[in-house]
Amino acid sequence: MTAFEPGDRVRVRPANKPGHVRTPGYLKGKTGWVESVLGEFRNPEDLAYGLSGVPERPLYKVAFRQADLWDGYEGPADDLLYADVYEQWLEQDQGGVA
Amino acid sequence: MVHDLGGAPGGPVDKSQHEVEDWERLADAITIVLDIKGIKTTDEHRRAQESLPPEEYKRLSYYERWVAATETLLVEKGILTREEVDERSAEIEHRWGGA
Repeated sequence: MTAFEPGDRVRVRPANKPGHVRTPGYLKGKTGWVESVLGEFRNPEDLAYGLSGVPERPLYKVAFRQADLWDGYEGPADDLLYADVYEQWLEQDQGGVA
Repeated sequence: MVHDLGGAPGGPVDKSQHEVEDWERLADAITIVLDIKGIKTTDEHRRAQESLPPEEYKRLSYYERWVAATETLLVEKGILTREEVDERSAEIEHRWGGA
């Protein structure tokens, strides 16, 4: 059972967690949507410190509009970027203009 | 953070090819074998690289970062000590005439 399903609007948490995280800084605070659920995997943030990494965490393929990521983006408006993001880095998008 | 560069202006990309050196093959092999033996994980190795001081991270080449991270993890896990690594390095450097 995962918190999000394909099509759900999500926002990447703007947190600055110390240590090893797989979520790139340029996505923090940005809004996109879940493209697919990739499965559940041992948590790399814990594996990085020699821990077991369980329970496994859901990993999502998340789509972002390039224009939402980069100021002054000049490419086609429908250009997308896909990134793999763990569930603990996502929250439901509270709406507003994407 | 120095390792999280996505989207940052990076300047020109150096596309020149270079020969893979023997020590780089060795660094790769040892690091992978430690994974296969269950002694460390890729995530630990990435964390150890990301924990390098930023100026060090920028100065070192790709496999120099790998070697530094592998050393950090082997010391952390009590398999080697820094002193042992330094002694052996000095020995090898001496054998190679300090070249």
